[in-house]
Amino acid sequence: MTQDEFFAKLQAKFPKLEKAAAPVKDYLTVRLSSKDQIEPVAQFLKDSGFDILDMLTATDLLGPVDMKGFIRQQNFNPFLPDGATPEIESAATAGYPYRPAMDLLWSFISVENKLRVIVRLEQPREGTSVPSLVPMFKSADWQERETFDLLGIKFEGHPNLTKILTPDFTVGHPLRKDYVHVKDRFDE
Amino acid sequence: MAMILEKLPGLTKGLPGGELLLTTSDYFIDLGRRQSMWPMTFGLACCAIEMMASYASRLDFDRMGVIPRASPRQADVMIVAGTVCKKMAEPILEIYHQMPEPRFVISMGSCANCGGPYYDSYSVVKGVDRIVPVDVYIAGCPPRPEALQYAVVKLQEKIAKMSLKKGLATSQQEKGSRDINA
Amino acid sequence: MSNMMTAADASTMPELKTDQLFINLGPQHPSTHGVLRIGLTIEGEVIVKAVPDIGYLHRGTEKLAEVRNYHHCVVLTDRWDYVSAMPNNLVFCLAAEKLAGVKTTPRADALRVIMCEMNRIASHLLFFGTYGIDLGAYTPFLYAFREREMVLDLFEMLCGARLTYNYIRLGGVMVDASPEWLKRTGEFIEYFKPRLDEYDTLLTYNPIFMARTKGVGIVTAEEAKSWALSGPNLRGSGVNYDVRKFAPYSGYENYDFDVPVGTDGSCWDRYFCRVSEMRQSVRIIEQAIAKLPAGPFMASGFAKVPKPVPGEAYAHVEASRGDLGIYLASDGGISPFRMHVHAPSFINLAMLQEKLVGMKVSDVIALLGSIDIVLGEVDR
Repeated sequence: MTQDEFFAKLQAKFPKLEKAAAPVKDYLTVRLSSKDQIEPVAQFLKDSGFDILDMLTATDLLGPVDMKGFIRQQNFNPFLPDGATPEIESAATAGYPYRPAMDLLWSFISVENKLRVIVRLEQPREGTSVPSLVPMFKSADWQERETFDLLGIKFEGHPNLTKILTPDFTVGHPLRKDYVHVKDRFDE
Repeated sequence: MAMILEKLPGLTKGLPGGELLLTTSDYFIDLGRRQSMWPMTFGLACCAIEMMASYASRLDFDRMGVIPRASPRQADVMIVAGTVCKKMAEPILEIYHQMPEPRFVISMGSCANCGGPYYDSYSVVKGVDRIVPVDVYIAGCPPRPEALQYAVVKLQEKIAKMSLKKGLATSQQEKGSRDINA
Repeated sequence: MSNMMTAADASTMPELKTDQLFINLGPQHPSTHGVLRIGLTIEGEVIVKAVPDIGYLHRGTEKLAEVRNYHHCVVLTDRWDYVSAMPNNLVFCLAAEKLAGVKTTPRADALRVIMCEMNRIASHLLFFGTYGIDLGAYTPFLYAFREREMVLDLFEMLCGARLTYNYIRLGGVMVDASPEWLKRTGEFIEYFKPRLDEYDTLLTYNPIFMARTKGVGIVTAEEAKSWALSGPNLRGSGVNYDVRKFAPYSGYENYDFDVPVGTDGSCWDRYFCRVSEMRQSVRIIEQAIAKLPAGPFMASGFAKVPKPVPGEAYAHVEASRGDLGIYLASDGGISPFRMHVHAPSFINLAMLQEKLVGMKVSDVIALLGSIDIVLGEVDR
């Protein structure tokens, strides 16, 4: 089955679904318009042979990353002259549509058809929650916890949505672009 | 044994030739300590693989008397091999305190020395010497297994200079580990 | 295998007071392959609840990648699966090349294949050695490291590093493999083939090893697909998913090799898949060295400070641990806008919280070792 054949099948079931304007290179990427679509689409994909939920993540589209999220010291190497190791500061690119939104990504694989489908959904950054896919795919468990821990996206219906990677005293969600690092007892 | 060693300098002060007795016992005590150092296997990240390679067939560590012990209660030296993350900092301190004295710390690799390639990360402690006092630093990312063996040789030389007159701890240990709860 | 005291037995002997015990496996433990903590609640010898606690090696590379040059990011990639670092470099370079639209040269592709397969051999040798130690067999570790040191010597001869190579760069490889190096690699392969049979005599058909791993930690194919396992964990359960055949990259479609698939999903099947993969890697390396095309080893499409046009790309490879993937998004700047790592060890580890319930304490190490995790990849 090719990507277009499967997209035809998908569109037959969900007529309002459309391909993403800027797809992930070489992969069939569909964009959802609302979070209620994710559960029926995921169930349809699971029934059509795409029974591995490979990847679940999100991108914060707010802007270039805030340098206060990193711990940068003034020339920490006393043996080198000032400015010898130029460190990269992040900068905004002109023309890129930065917006206060989170772009979620789900990736499903079908082993028999040798095909991958990527599903995208944009959600506002604050106060949103997305249905969890844990009842259908067990691999969503830790991936949703990681997305919650690092980016702050809540998943409804997740059995145990707690921190998984960052230490307990971390304030905020580190992978957000506006994350400001709060000095803890290990930073001098 | 430790009580005898503590009282020994005071006892020998009164005896004629007492200082000579101390220096000879220094030599033998230090010889025993340095030629059979038992590190605790504390591999955290990539440097742990090079530490395992130094225990393995080609660069046998056993020829120096170094046998890895899994429990901190039975170990002399803690080789901190790998990145020290903030979540791991408290366990490291607990394990350091569980080691009986005299104890030593070898900081292996760039991450344990100063944070390494993660110098600006939000969740990495920039060097294990912010938590425990370090005796020998090994540079490298990761350092070769031969470098680890050389570091153990250097630590053996450092132990050879330990003296009963100055007390049982090395000068590094007199500073004590930093109290991170303060 | 069921002469153990369960809660049901305790109820038939009401005068016996039993209680559950909570013990910590780790974070400092000789057999957890790194800093992993599993909180086990046990009743007698049987596990009632298992809570894996990770994050003790979380270094924040996904955030650091947003302030590193694309070339500098390759240095960060080495440290995920530090036991086999070449596929990590490769997957990042494939994603960046897809994003920038640069094609590599055939010689670079063939060299990349040789390095990844050699690294697969080195990584599986380490698995073989440490799995033996986990289960109490101390000798195979020394045999495995004897050969692993030879592989590392070859890598050191080529690119100067034993563990974190940074050899596969954007657009190709760092330095060409000399004819002397290729000859020595061929000699190593000839030396290595009878060693594989030696390892079989040491561990694979050892009755104690088989009793400890056959029938332990059975993962059915449905469960494996639901948990999205990959690599030998998925193939050990019978699902034939190998990225080298699913979506070939770097010229893998030109080489003739089989993919070992297990039958019942036990620890022994996963172990046997890995040992058989070493044999297939030997086949691939021989073919790649014989067919190595001449030509440049680095394509010239990348600037000194690459700035790919805005877009997104995803690339995945068959690393030694499983299906390693990188999702890169670019906004046109010098650093990636978002880099997400689909880490096989992180996803494979998630099944422990369900699989450990009902097992005995001594089987925990057998199952944990057979998943073959590396904490650098779990925590990134």
